[in-house]
Amino acid sequence: MSEKIKDNIFELQDVCFRYPDGSRGLEQCSLSIHSGSRTAVLGANGSGKTTLFLHFNAILRPQSGTIVCSGNPLNYSRQNLHALRSRIGLVFQNPDSQLFSASVREDVSFGPLNQGINKQTVRERVEEALCSVGMIDCAEKPVHNLSHGQKKRVCIAGVLAMQPDIMILDEPMAGLDHSMQNDLEILLQRLHADGMTILLATHDIDFAYRWADRILLMDQGQDVVSCTAADLSKETEQLHALGLGIPNVIQLHRLLAAKGLLPPGERQPLSFTELVGFLEQRL
Amino acid sequence: MLIEQCAYANRLRLVTPAAKGIFCLCGVIASFSAGTPAAACGVAAALASVTVLGAGIPMGRYLRVAAPALLFLGTSALTLAVSLTPESLNNGFSIRIERTSVQAAAQVVGRSLGGLAALLFLAMTTPLTDIIGLLRRLRTPETLLDIMVLCYRTLFVFSEAVRETTTAQSARLGYATTRHALRSMGILTANLTVQVWQRSQALHVAAMSRNGDGPLRFLEHDHHHSARDCFVFLAGGSLIIFLSQVLS
Repeated sequence: MSEKIKDNIFELQDVCFRYPDGSRGLEQCSLSIHSGSRTAVLGANGSGKTTLFLHFNAILRPQSGTIVCSGNPLNYSRQNLHALRSRIGLVFQNPDSQLFSASVREDVSFGPLNQGINKQTVRERVEEALCSVGMIDCAEKPVHNLSHGQKKRVCIAGVLAMQPDIMILDEPMAGLDHSMQNDLEILLQRLHADGMTILLATHDIDFAYRWADRILLMDQGQDVVSCTAADLSKETEQLHALGLGIPNVIQLHRLLAAKGLLPPGERQPLSFTELVGFLEQRL
Repeated sequence: MLIEQCAYANRLRLVTPAAKGIFCLCGVIASFSAGTPAAACGVAAALASVTVLGAGIPMGRYLRVAAPALLFLGTSALTLAVSLTPESLNNGFSIRIERTSVQAAAQVVGRSLGGLAALLFLAMTTPLTDIIGLLRRLRTPETLLDIMVLCYRTLFVFSEAVRETTTAQSARLGYATTRHALRSMGILTANLTVQVWQRSQALHVAAMSRNGDGPLRFLEHDHHHSARDCFVFLAGGSLIIFLSQVLS
């Protein structure tokens, strides 16, 4: 087994999937997800992001092609699915699709109890997960009395309580206000610092560029670009073609370089804070 | 929604559901063991007082929640007490109120009021999540509980969907005339049918992604002072049973 495959948590090779109504999910999709990475998947609606995530969690199975997980082809036996879904946590885009229990504490306990963990440990994990997302005060509340943002946090807590190695979030920022987006970004940074591999889908190119270390661009069921965030500025043409635009910080950096305020060959800043740092050094 | 609001905002919210369940059961036993309708009504009054004064449920809300059941009970009592008898002489009907029918109706009303007050005490002081937890501890079949949980959750999901769709329809004059309203309601019903199917699929997928493989397993809530609460409410319930016997 090559070292390269060992470092990838997931490898997709020519994976194809079509939904029963004939609509395209994935089309000859090949990509890899690096262990320990922060990967952002970008693409228009219908480009295959959610379908891709459902394949990682083995909810969907490829009709052709192979998926390799930690060096081994995915095995869809009952026992293996149990182990896989304990390792791969999936947070859905619409929280109402994920939350089915009556109260917050009950819902968060659903995953770890399914893992067969004893009740005392589950209780501790639920407390810990609710504390990490700042929802411990709402533990006894019924789910329907929560706001959209709070429901999203409970969804994340429900997955965190399972203590997965990889967390996959489908458009986690959708419907959140600015403050909640900041809180979520901080939480994601913390989880990653604790060693979790994080993969998320987003339409926000600025957030993806700032947060991720790897970026995948999806189009028509295929991964058309796979690069580091630092190399995203080289994919201007593809970004325009997909209608995603260029991250604001790159645009500003280019403008400042064109005006002679920054040297043109300098490394692209990943955030406005970094760009301000460049300017302070220069001026 | 009214029951839901009361269940989460009352003075007995933190009392263990087992204690409230015991008190409710004592209330039902007291109502059915009451020898006279007056005794059963006395039990109902005592139970309602505990709910309104003890748990701090506003009287207006209590009556609004009880109103549909009372209306149904009133109609049933009327049909029991009053009988329509065909008259052979002039091909008409005569209305008759017989003593035995009135007694039977009074008995039914008394017992029903007691039972209703006992169940309202439980429903208006205990969130459904706690009641489900209690039923789980009482070894109620898993399938029944799963259905209860899903119905409870989806009830709110769909009421929200209905509200959103109705608002969207109203904003585009969907209910401007009777004809439009009928059409809009038809569209709403069709749309909800599709949503029911889609949402049930989505919930199934979400359960699978968290290793759900059949029964829905949830953590039960821990209540402090469970034994003390059970003892106090058992004593209260016994007092009500005693009251029903004294009044009989």
